[in-house]
Amino acid sequence: MSKNVVRRVLVLALVAALSGCSEKASLEPAQQSGNAPPLPKARDFLLPPMQVPIGVGWAQGQFPKVAPGLKIEKIASGLMHPRQLYVLPNGDVLVAESNGPGTEPVTTPKQLIATKVKNRSGKGGKGGNRITLLRKKDTAAGEWEKHVLIEHLHSPFGMQLIGESLYVANTDAIVKFPYHSGDTQITAPGVEFADLPGTVNHHWTKALLASPDGSKLYVGVGSNSNVGENGLEVEYRRAVVLEVDVATRGSRIYASGIRNPTGLQWEPQTGKLWAIANERDEIGADLVPDYLTAVQEGGFYGWPYSYFGQIIDRRVEAQRPDLVAKAIVPDYAIGSHVAPLGLWFSEKNALPEKYQGGAFISEHGSWDRSPLSGYEVVHVAFQQGKPVGKPETVVSGFYSADEKKLFGAPVGLTQDHDGALLIADDVGNTVWRVTADSH
Amino acid sequence: MSLRPEPRRSIVAESIYGLLNPIPFGCFVAALIFDVLYSKTAVMLWDKGAAWLIVFGLLFAVVPRLVNLTQVWVTSRRTATRTDKLDFWLNLFAIVVAIVNAFVHSRDAYAVVPTGLWLSVCTVILLSIGNIVVAVERAARGGYVNE
Repeated sequence: MSKNVVRRVLVLALVAALSGCSEKASLEPAQQSGNAPPLPKARDFLLPPMQVPIGVGWAQGQFPKVAPGLKIEKIASGLMHPRQLYVLPNGDVLVAESNGPGTEPVTTPKQLIATKVKNRSGKGGKGGNRITLLRKKDTAAGEWEKHVLIEHLHSPFGMQLIGESLYVANTDAIVKFPYHSGDTQITAPGVEFADLPGTVNHHWTKALLASPDGSKLYVGVGSNSNVGENGLEVEYRRAVVLEVDVATRGSRIYASGIRNPTGLQWEPQTGKLWAIANERDEIGADLVPDYLTAVQEGGFYGWPYSYFGQIIDRRVEAQRPDLVAKAIVPDYAIGSHVAPLGLWFSEKNALPEKYQGGAFISEHGSWDRSPLSGYEVVHVAFQQGKPVGKPETVVSGFYSADEKKLFGAPVGLTQDHDGALLIADDVGNTVWRVTADSH
Repeated sequence: MSLRPEPRRSIVAESIYGLLNPIPFGCFVAALIFDVLYSKTAVMLWDKGAAWLIVFGLLFAVVPRLVNLTQVWVTSRRTATRTDKLDFWLNLFAIVVAIVNAFVHSRDAYAVVPTGLWLSVCTVILLSIGNIVVAVERAARGGYVNE
């Protein structure tokens, strides 16, 4: 078809010409870390910067790279897009195998192209829609026992156990399952516990965290767009942290304006709620840095109207100066487009001394930045309940040196009963376990 | 276009051109209307509608533009008038502007305004001038005006 050929040639020539207009990042993620990151001026592009390595998975015997003094092992492989991890009181590890429900309609020509490009990385792989239970074998080292705990879920992400109830955050509802210590399979049907915003699902993950006394559940709900381009009417109860009362199942907005809060955890020293958030795209390779922040009750964090406090995003019309005026500056930037998807606070673990205390963050990695950023697990030290210093790389090596191939991408984080750091890898379909290297 | 009895022009090419050539103009005019509405209301429907109209306008423009290119510069180059050549160039610039505009319309929300609106205005003006000069020449020659 000559029409097609001509079209393709035209498109390719244009893409080549226009990529000249897009920019390379000039700030390293480390330079854009901390409580006062440098923020360049926002730009509009003809073609936003895009760089996506092709997902190839891990070769036999190939491992991510760990920082000196650490060792890494594989405890599960062959999973279906493992996203989130959760450790049960008996030491069993739950893995939510999941991906987006694919319910976002194509409403712009851009989506047709951008989705194709992004999915080359393997990040679009099909999710298992199930929870797999991993149990450490008593005897040998190597991969753990694998049991399918719950099947036929709907894009599950967050998991929390309160008493003998396992709460699973599907993309559109929290579902409650009965669980007894030692179970390796739950056949009882889940009961819908509380509904969650489930239309469009541009950002589909629902992070889940129970309060220490088990009376509340906190849910991270991402926005339904990059910056409001699907209309603000689909952003009802989006870009928020919801608080669900476990006794009454009623919910309210606990904090808002957080574009995509993908991980929630309690900071152990202060007992405060903290979140990691994915900030907006397409106004520059060095904008906007993703962040780690304490979540204040009733707080507004800017999205979509502004970022990092009062910096207006002109793409949103009409603006809300009343909201922008009270927008809170996040506590700690972690670099632009690193895509944090896992957060774990650890006072004590089986890693060397410098990793005691502070937060581990897994960065799923960039698509709209060149060179790549993220694709690593970092550690952020805390003092008096506040992050200090720069994030330090703990696990990396998820892509090839030429940035063309992607072996894996870190998502969920937790630590097992031996204090080892566990990392879900949804491109490599693996769960990794990191400990101190005793040699 | 009128079906003037031009012996060197292929009936098939003329028919295809007559059928497809009005479509991009209609798409770009509609896109302009949507762009005006979006800049006034900020309702996303209009912006997304304009983005599709520009893309479809460009896709429908491929065949009639190739027919026109062939006729003006190859098959009918001896009989092609200055007006025909002017019309060719006006259309070419309009298409280039529309291609840039398609990329501008890939921006999120209000980042399309005002650049996208002005590019839509340019596209429609260029195509309008092309249509008018061709119509005027036809009228002067005493042939049939379009349709």
